[in-house]
Amino acid sequence: MTTQKNTDDRIALLQGTLDLLILKTLVFGPCHGQGVARSIQRQSEEVFFVDHGSLYLALQRLEDKKWITAKWGVSRNNRKARFYSLTSKGREQLLEKTSEWERLTRAMGLVLSGSAAPNNEEV
Amino acid sequence: MFSRKRSVEDFAAEIKAHLELEADELQDDGLNEDEAHRNARVAFGNAPAAEERFRPRNRVPWIDNLLRDISFSLRQIVRNPGFAIVVIVTLALGIGASTSIFSVADAVLLRPLPYPNPQQIVRVWEKMPNGHQPNLAESNFEDFLTQNHTFASLAAYDYGLASVSGGTEPARVNVSSVSSGFFPAFGVQPFRGRLFTADEQRPHGTPAIVVSYGYWQRYLGSTTELSKFHLDLEGGSYPVIGVMPPGFDFPSDVSAWISRELDPPSPSRTGHNWRGIGRLRDGATVAQAQANLGAIAHRIRNQYGTQVDLNDAVVVPLSDAVVGNVRTALVTLLCAVGLLLLVACANVAGLLVARTSARRKELAIRAALGAGRGRLIQQFLAESFALSLAAGLLGILMAAAGVRVLPVILPADLPRQQGISINPAVLLFALAASVVVAAALGLFAAWRAGGPDLQNALSAGSRGHTGPRSNQRLRSLLVIGEIATTLVILVGAGLLGRSFFQLISTSPGFRTESLVTMEFSLPVPLDWKVDDLATERQVHLLDQIVMRLRALPGATSVGLAGGLPVAQGDNLPDGGFLILNGHNPPADYDEFGKMAQNQAITGHALYAVTSQDYFSTLGIPLMAGRNFGDQDTINSTHVALISQALARQRWPGQNPIGQTIEFGNMDGNLKPLTIIGIVGDVRASGLDAPPASVIYVNYRQRGMQQNSTPTILMRTTAPNGQIDSAARVIFHNLAPDVPVKFSTYAMELGGWLAERRFLLLLVSLFALAALLLAAVGLYGVVAFFVTLRTQEIGVRMAIGAQRSDVLRLVLGEAARMASFGLIIGIVASLAITRLLSSLLFGVSATDPLTFVGVAALLSIVALAASWVPAYRAMRVDPVSALRYE
Repeated sequence: MTTQKNTDDRIALLQGTLDLLILKTLVFGPCHGQGVARSIQRQSEEVFFVDHGSLYLALQRLEDKKWITAKWGVSRNNRKARFYSLTSKGREQLLEKTSEWERLTRAMGLVLSGSAAPNNEEV
Repeated sequence: MFSRKRSVEDFAAEIKAHLELEADELQDDGLNEDEAHRNARVAFGNAPAAEERFRPRNRVPWIDNLLRDISFSLRQIVRNPGFAIVVIVTLALGIGASTSIFSVADAVLLRPLPYPNPQQIVRVWEKMPNGHQPNLAESNFEDFLTQNHTFASLAAYDYGLASVSGGTEPARVNVSSVSSGFFPAFGVQPFRGRLFTADEQRPHGTPAIVVSYGYWQRYLGSTTELSKFHLDLEGGSYPVIGVMPPGFDFPSDVSAWISRELDPPSPSRTGHNWRGIGRLRDGATVAQAQANLGAIAHRIRNQYGTQVDLNDAVVVPLSDAVVGNVRTALVTLLCAVGLLLLVACANVAGLLVARTSARRKELAIRAALGAGRGRLIQQFLAESFALSLAAGLLGILMAAAGVRVLPVILPADLPRQQGISINPAVLLFALAASVVVAAALGLFAAWRAGGPDLQNALSAGSRGHTGPRSNQRLRSLLVIGEIATTLVILVGAGLLGRSFFQLISTSPGFRTESLVTMEFSLPVPLDWKVDDLATERQVHLLDQIVMRLRALPGATSVGLAGGLPVAQGDNLPDGGFLILNGHNPPADYDEFGKMAQNQAITGHALYAVTSQDYFSTLGIPLMAGRNFGDQDTINSTHVALISQALARQRWPGQNPIGQTIEFGNMDGNLKPLTIIGIVGDVRASGLDAPPASVIYVNYRQRGMQQNSTPTILMRTTAPNGQIDSAARVIFHNLAPDVPVKFSTYAMELGGWLAERRFLLLLVSLFALAALLLAAVGLYGVVAFFVTLRTQEIGVRMAIGAQRSDVLRLVLGEAARMASFGLIIGIVASLAITRLLSSLLFGVSATDPLTFVGVAALLSIVALAASWVPAYRAMRVDPVSALRYE
């Protein structure tokens, strides 16, 4: 998965995070790809930019793993669209990945905020 | 993946939906429609790229890759046509030659005979205690027929040339006399008309004749009314009752079949006059049949003791019997052509190694970009398949041309050669050969490319192009292999060539040049009854013909014989005779048989009917005694001449002149013969046989029998055609119904040599092609050696090396490869040429002269091939060489 670099303050998605974001988005109910992309961008207060090509490949990958299912339906404004919804397997994965992510961010936070005291002493 | 695969179209539809949804939202945000669509597309990024990335998820990747590899290979071929052409032509040469030879082997050896359940059809022989396998004697055959329990049908047959008239013109053709089991043994129904009825298969029954498809077309005008035709055959008249289908050709080249049972049986247990053929009962094996007949033979032996000469029987599948000794020749050819294909492959492998070196950078980049080993192998296979299949196609075209040319050089007596064609089996062979070659070469190239040094190629800079020396070593090994293989083929060709020249320089015992031959037939009754009256009639006619021929301008002398010596090979009649030594001649053949039990008074010799002038015409010298003369008439003492070989063998240290012998078993005339002279030796049974023991009898006394092929031999100073037309008129006037075959002795002898000439020609051709390929391969390696070492050579010359030193360096390298190849080749040849032994004459399979000569030839060719690059190395300019990269 590649991320697209922009000159503004958008942050490129870390590898492996897109899957988690997609799963999280789908917790609120079935949604089509464009909706998922919009939702991620809005939820992140426009910080994350989702490369659409990568998004659809990620959706396909999740579908292949049977974490989500898809079927063609009609959107609110009467457009044909492919709607994705979470499977029970997907829900389990979401819980697991979320806790994994939280442990990661907590650890990152500890390292970054807990002032590198020992190093400072030596200098 | 168990779920149904999504199609690319579905994916594209989803992206389209996305763009529309995005545009809708943008419009809601206040953009106009166009702007909304544009922005949606911009926001999405590269939609086709996304689709492209989706694609591989959805396909079987290796097919995709394969298609890409093939198109890549084709582009490579187009970009570098020289390489491709050399490879394709080299491989096509090998594949084409193998396919041509395979088409012959397929028709002659492999394809089943064109009869129902052909594996059940067998030939049958008696077997003597000394291992000889004679044909069947009439009474023994009757016992085999009535007592066996393993044959569905068993038949006796014989065949010979006969004059047949009653068709559109008289013809001298092969006619076969067959017993009632013959056609059932083959299980073939006539194409038109019917086969013999019971009434046509009993003594003194109704005569009838079945003709071949070829005879029916040529001499009966493909008539639908067979009943219109009665064929006259050796004094009898036979109504045509049936026509066999086109594929039925047994015995080979026979035009008509008559029933054997029309003639009353002539019981004998030692007259091996009948060939045996039969069809096994369902479920019976060849071994069982042989044991069955062997037991019957044993019973006969027990019952009659030494009055019979058999004690066993031999049963051989017809397919094996038909092919006979041709198998060795064909297997030799297949081996030679296989070796040629091997040399061609080695040559191409050498080219591939060189090219892989040149492509190392490209390959390294591909590997660096993530091409796995499998992908690289696949790419090489795609390339070698493209090249090999193109070569296979070209090879098939070459084989198709070859198959058209082959009949010209094929020996006329090669069995089943009408079936030689490019058929599915042959195409399959060509395809299989191409695929095997492609796989071998592709894997070989991939193995080379995957070597550990590939990774260094990128960092090796510009010098990386020349490749490591290990490649050069590998190419040297390939060339050594090529030289060794070529040597094997060359030795084979050399041995066959030496045999051939040994043969044709062997004197048959007389002068063969400017000798015209006229083969004809006389009406001889089939039942061995040439009585004195018939003989006198014959003699009268023959004398007239000879007298008129002798009067022709250009005719030096004219002889008459009952067969052509040497050229007819082992077709001359032979048999045992009795030395009477004061004994009374036997009164009948039973007594003859009893007397023949006494080894002390028997001998074995060829039987030749000749005229007085036969010896002077051929130039066979009279060594002792006198020749036939006018005093020898049918009523005077019957006389004989014998060959020196017989005199040496049967009367060592004695004078055979004046001895009386009994040879009536050959011509049905029990009048004893008195030996009156000894003549020079003739290799009558063939140039490859020792001088024959021959008993010559006078045609004026014995007449021409059924076992003779009356032939006039004329020594002439006139051009051929002139004699032919004049002689034709004489025959036409004196004997209008007698067909005559005009030829020259040289041509008849050529026919006898045809099989050897064919084998020699083809093996030599293959050897020549292999030699060329090996020379090209050696040239390539030596040239590359020089390229690799240009710098080194420059340095050497800069510090004072002479040009001759450089020459020695390069030629030394070539000589090293050549001598390795020669040594390996000689060792291999010593093992392999043994298989040729049965095809050789007057030269051993390990003939030192051939080995030395072939090694010398290969050395000279190797030297010549390396001379050009060596010369170039010698001219290297040290200054530019040092700058050379």
